[in-house]
Amino acid sequence: MKFKFTVTGLDCPNCAAKLSSMIEADDSITACKINFLTEKVTVESELTEDAVREIVRLYAKKFSSKVVIE
Amino acid sequence: MKAVLRALFSDIGRILLCALLMSLSYLPPLRFAWYFDIIFRAMALLVIGIPVFYEAIRGILRRDLLDEKFLMSVASIGAFALGEPLEAVAVLAFFTIGEMFEHYAVRRSRDSIRSLMKIRPDTATILRDTEECEVDAEDVEPGDIMICRTGDRIATDGVIISGDGDLDCSMLSGESLPVSVTVGEEVQSGAVVLRGILKIRAIRIAEQSCAGRILELVESASERKSKEEAFITKFSRVYTPVVVILATILCLVLTIFRILPFGEAFRRALTFLVISCPCALVISVPMAFFGGIGASASQGILFKGGNVFSPLAKARTFIFDKTGTLTSGEFELVEAVCPTMERDAFLSLVASAEYASNHPLALAIKKAVPDVKAPDEATERAGYGVIATIDGACVAVGNRRMLDEYATTKAIGLPADTRGVLYAIRDGVLIGYLRVSDNIRDGAKRAFGDLRSLGAQRLAILSGDRKESVATVAEALGADTYLGELLPEDKYARLEEYIEGGERVVYVGDGINDTPSLARADVGVAMGGIGQDSALEVSDLSILTDDLTKLPTAVRIARKTITIAKQNIIFAIGIKALVLILGALGYATMWIAVFADVGVCILAILNAMRTLYTKKN
Repeated sequence: MKFKFTVTGLDCPNCAAKLSSMIEADDSITACKINFLTEKVTVESELTEDAVREIVRLYAKKFSSKVVIE
Repeated sequence: MKAVLRALFSDIGRILLCALLMSLSYLPPLRFAWYFDIIFRAMALLVIGIPVFYEAIRGILRRDLLDEKFLMSVASIGAFALGEPLEAVAVLAFFTIGEMFEHYAVRRSRDSIRSLMKIRPDTATILRDTEECEVDAEDVEPGDIMICRTGDRIATDGVIISGDGDLDCSMLSGESLPVSVTVGEEVQSGAVVLRGILKIRAIRIAEQSCAGRILELVESASERKSKEEAFITKFSRVYTPVVVILATILCLVLTIFRILPFGEAFRRALTFLVISCPCALVISVPMAFFGGIGASASQGILFKGGNVFSPLAKARTFIFDKTGTLTSGEFELVEAVCPTMERDAFLSLVASAEYASNHPLALAIKKAVPDVKAPDEATERAGYGVIATIDGACVAVGNRRMLDEYATTKAIGLPADTRGVLYAIRDGVLIGYLRVSDNIRDGAKRAFGDLRSLGAQRLAILSGDRKESVATVAEALGADTYLGELLPEDKYARLEEYIEGGERVVYVGDGINDTPSLARADVGVAMGGIGQDSALEVSDLSILTDDLTKLPTAVRIARKTITIAKQNIIFAIGIKALVLILGALGYATMWIAVFADVGVCILAILNAMRTLYTKKN
């Protein structure tokens, strides 16, 4: 399944790319793309939406305290 | 907004405090101990640098030693250790100020582009237990009753259950005239209520509604990367490691070969670290395309991806489908010649003869007469026309074959140009003729002229219609090439011929039976609304209206976007290279490097915003 969340607080596209590769490296995530300009993160995973959101939040928190996932 | 202000103030507060501490450290009267200045300067560094150092430590914990914050910290602390506290503090201060401006610029640009794309409202007014309440558009469920008043935009697709009014659907279907709607009719999200109060029962959630799908399309467009974006992404990936390696080499070479003392060599290497962040590079180019996508979306032009801009900007061959694209498919009476009768009387006689006919040409004639009288008798002769009895006279209206068979004498000469001509014969005498033509869409002629002035070398019309009517349209518009009576596969074959001949081809169609051609062309342009899902899917560019002048506008936006993207690439890389060289030679201090880095980024963003001001026509 594909899920879409809003991601705010990223500094630059470079950070967006770093965060998305961090998320993508997670075993339960098939693919992850962050669009810095539209502030959208698209995640592919077999898990439920809530579980995926939690995983994304976890990495976001690990990445920077300013990043917020909704 | 509050959060933004707070962040700004805290940044500004830190900068001011840092400035105060720095100035205090230089004041002689306060020197009560030898370590006084060092302590004050260290405090200044800490005050200004804490957020950066904090992120740097997080970077280290992630084992990301190429993190910009980490490199910035190394540079600043390094400078401090080298006994250059002013430079160390200045680097971080400028970095903080720069980031403030940068974030502001990004936010502003992002917001202004988004507002252009906004065809769906964020909120909706719904009825809950007879009470009106405002909710997020996303929270409207199928079955909810929405209330839309004059000026409101409909949040999601639904059916009207009470009220009637007029809607502006121009962003959805391209229909520029208001559409009247009433109870029982389905309405689409994105339409604006021009008059009336409507109660609408939602039938879809906002995301899956008409406007939601367009929005999704526009937003995901920035995910399909252009050549330029792909280049800058690749470049930025190697940029940071290369700069860091260069810094190391520079420091080692200068020291080992005793060209410079270690301190100076190290300082120069630190300058490199300051501009090792690829941010200006990675933001400048996508921002240009994002601007292009937004600017065109506001005019009902949907680019399907960043990769469409370049081929459209370079295209010199434009191929058009005729019916439904250049012409509306409806015929129009353009000429009526009859020397012996008044124009109105002549037209009403002819229309009367055509009374029962549903032939497109007959319809065009009848449309030109306000009140058509029924004839005494009429028969239609396929391939010829109609023969009717009106007030005792035998009136035949038809083509050349009809003329040859029914007219014994001619009261007037035949027209030189016989395309689209119908002859009127009364009791064996040719009394006049009418000319009917395909209704060329408004703006088609101007679109052709505009494309020509934009450097189009081949404007071609490929049509399944009769050769003569294609020729009429081609001549009226000034097309270079035209072919009629083509099957969809013939069009495709012709298209392929052009592409294989090395031309960059834009194919413009309505997507009804030419999806293969839309897909095959370098740029497939689907005209007129999003009704045709298949066309929307295979096309690279969709123009929501029937207005052909949007095509040259799209070309202009594409060219401007590409130019800006290229300028930004050259500008960003050029300035970085220049600062690296100056830094290596010892001419650029660290804070100049920061300034250059952030400055490039902001200028690139501002430059990208120029796309939003592309001339319309």
